[in-house]
Formats: sequence, C-alpha cells, structure tokens
Amino acid sequence: MTSSIFDQIRTLASDLFAIPPSQIDNASSPETIESWDSVQHLNLVLALEEKFHLQLMPEEIEQMKTIGDVVKLVEGKLQTAPS
Amino acid sequence: MVEFNRRLQAGTNDPNLVFPKSAVPRWLPPQSGSPVWNDFFVAVEGSAVRGAYAIKHERLFIRGKGIVNIACYHHSLAEGIVDRSYASVGALLARDALARQPLLYALGMGGFDSPIARMIKALGFSLTLLPFYFRVVHPTKFLREMQALRAQRWRAVLLDLAAITGTGWLGIKAAQYFGRKHRGATDFVAEEVNEFSTWTDHLWDQTKSFVTMAAVRDSETLRLLYPPDQNTLTRIRVSRGNQVIGWAVVGERRKDEKFGTMRVGSVIDCWASPENAGAVVQAAAKALEKRGVDLIVSNQAHEMWCRSFEQNGFLKGPSNFVLALSKKLTELLQPLQETRPSLHVTRADGDGLPNNF
Repeated sequence: MTSSIFDQIRTLASDLFAIPPSQIDNASSPETIESWDSVQHLNLVLALEEKFHLQLMPEEIEQMKTIGDVVKLVEGKLQTAPS
Repeated sequence: MVEFNRRLQAGTNDPNLVFPKSAVPRWLPPQSGSPVWNDFFVAVEGSAVRGAYAIKHERLFIRGKGIVNIACYHHSLAEGIVDRSYASVGALLARDALARQPLLYALGMGGFDSPIARMIKALGFSLTLLPFYFRVVHPTKFLREMQALRAQRWRAVLLDLAAITGTGWLGIKAAQYFGRKHRGATDFVAEEVNEFSTWTDHLWDQTKSFVTMAAVRDSETLRLLYPPDQNTLTRIRVSRGNQVIGWAVVGERRKDEKFGTMRVGSVIDCWASPENAGAVVQAAAKALEKRGVDLIVSNQAHEMWCRSFEQNGFLKGPSNFVLALSKKLTELLQPLQETRPSLHVTRADGDGLPNNF
C-alpha cells in the first residue's frame, strides 16, 4: 500500500524542518514551525517538485501557507497531470 | 512601497532594509540602447507590496564565448523578513528573477550563511568568496578604531597598549613591508581624469583575453558606471610613455560602525594587463593616501590582481563577500575550477555603486 500524499509531505517536511512527523499536521505553518523560514520554504518547493515530478507556478507557491494547503495543491496537481 | 518599507523598518530597525520608492531606478535607469540598466519588480497582494527586487542588466565578456547578456540579482526584500506567514515571498522573488534571466549572478550578501545566499544556493547557484585585502595607512588609529578586532575587552586593552607603545605601529608596518615581494614600479604616470573616453576601449580590446570572465569595461559602460558628475569617486588613468596601461576607480566608503571613526578608502574597480596590475594598485593606493584615508580595502577575484595587491603591501583579511553564479551562468564557465582563478570581479560589480562599495 502506498502512503497518502499527506504522509509523504509530512515525512518530507519533517526531514526539511528537522522536527518529528508527529508535530506536523494540516494546520502547521511558518507561524507554528520555527525552522520554516523563507529559505526552507524554497527548499520545500524544490523538494515537492522533485518528489512528485511537478512544476509549481509562482501563484501556487504563494498559496502554500500551511501543510494542508500544500497537500491540497499537490493532490490537485497530480490529479490534473497527464498520466 | 512606502508602507512596505515602513513594515520592514518597524520589524527590524535595519536602515538598510529599504526598497526605492520610485518605480524608475535613480541609479542606471532603463534608457534606450543603454548597455547597463536596472529594473525593479514587486510582488503584490491586492494593493499591498509583499516583496521587491532589482536586477541590473549588463554585458559580460566570457573568454571563448564573447559577449553575453546577463543580470545581477540585488536588493531582494520580502515581507517574510518580518511576518512569517509570508515566508513564501523570498522564494517567489528569486525564482521570478531566474525565470526572467537564467544567466544571473549575485554579489556580496554578507556571507554564505545569510538567508539570500542560502536561498540562491538552494536554487543551484555556485557560491565562492571573493578575497578581501586591506592596507593600514595609519596603524595607531587602526588599532584604536577597528571595532571588529576590539569586540572583547582584553583584546581592546591589548590593542590600546600596542597603540600607546608603538609596537602595533611597528608590527603592522613590518607585516605590510615584508609582505611586498619587490620594490614597486616607478616608470609610470598616474593622473586623475574626469571621464573614461576612447582610450579605455583600446585597453579593453587589448587586454580582455587575460580574464575568463568580466563585466564589459568599455568606455560606454564605464561612463555610465562612473559618470563625470559623480564627484565622490576618483578615476585614475595610468600610463607609461604614450601608452595607457591601466586604470582604477577609488573612493571613500561611507561611515560604518565596524571601522569606528576611521576614514576608509576603497579600490573599487581596476583594469590592466597582468604585467601592469602592480602599477595600477600602487597608483590607486597612493591616490587614497593623498585623500587622507586611514585604511584602504579592496575585494578582488582574479589571481593576478590578488597577487598584485599582496605585492604592494596589502594583507589578506577574512571575507564575507560572496559571488554567486546561477546554474546556466556556471555552465558557460565550465570547467569552473579552471576558469575561477581568472574571473575579474570587484566591488564595482553587482549593486556596489554608487554608494555601497
């Protein structure tokens, strides 16, 4: 069984922000995760693009305010991506 | 933009975190046919500015590739500095700049650990430090005023002691004297000039092949960078007989608390063939000494210029002046290990002029 998009993003964010996965939920944001600064935000964007083989547009990057937003964005992009 | 600047000021108290209010850059504005100009870009949310950056478009000479159009990414400011909910803006700005000009570089940035340096490194830029050189003109004042050396009380006491007894003066002068590899050349004439005219072009054409990369330094570009009405800078032409062999631009830096009350001169820009670099360094240093500065500083990338500064009594100090080259620009310079020692980059590149050198 493959893990959900949320689980994959949580694992990725956990590695990036150096915090346990258990401390990450849909409401997690730069305001609740100390190490989520502008540099780590860029690293998150680059990591998502690499992991899910997608290209994030500027307006999409701007929408990524919380982990929940990120999950919704990636799910949406994967659904509309050509198979 | 006024509100954006106000929020950055309120959140940081850093007077340097201010983006120009005018949409038209005062320094190097876009002009038809101009070889070097600035463009400003803003990130907006509704009617609120959330970020801004500038790019300086310029022409670069790359040995074996000729002249290519590139840009310098500078003055990047984002709301994320003061409001974490806008952490995405910095990434947006950097990626936007790269999308507009993939041949991008950045300069300065305050070291590898600064947010901007870390961000562009994540975007695949190659980062390297530009060596920093200094020559103390007035050792006693240097010992008393160089705040970076006086951070700890015991060191400040030792430096005061060295200044009072004269041992500091002797030590600094000796280090600078014995650092010189040879007596300086004397068979040249240095003169101050009001502007760079066609004599610059001949020199540029004859000598550019000594570098693997340099921003174009022809008369058209130099007149824009150092216009005749920019009287805080001194333009020096160096000749031997009837032949122009090099030039330099020097100026006095604005006050900076890390230098205390010292007057700090900077060799901002320079150009010559390898055998004449030493004469240009001598001429530049002499012009600044004549101005009465206490300390002379310079950042140089090219190994020939580094050697020339060392041979003229300059000491190498710790540097936090970073040169960052985008992936695409790095590709043009491959193999970088071989081309890097001959890149010609000075404080005049990037956003260093007219005041930030």
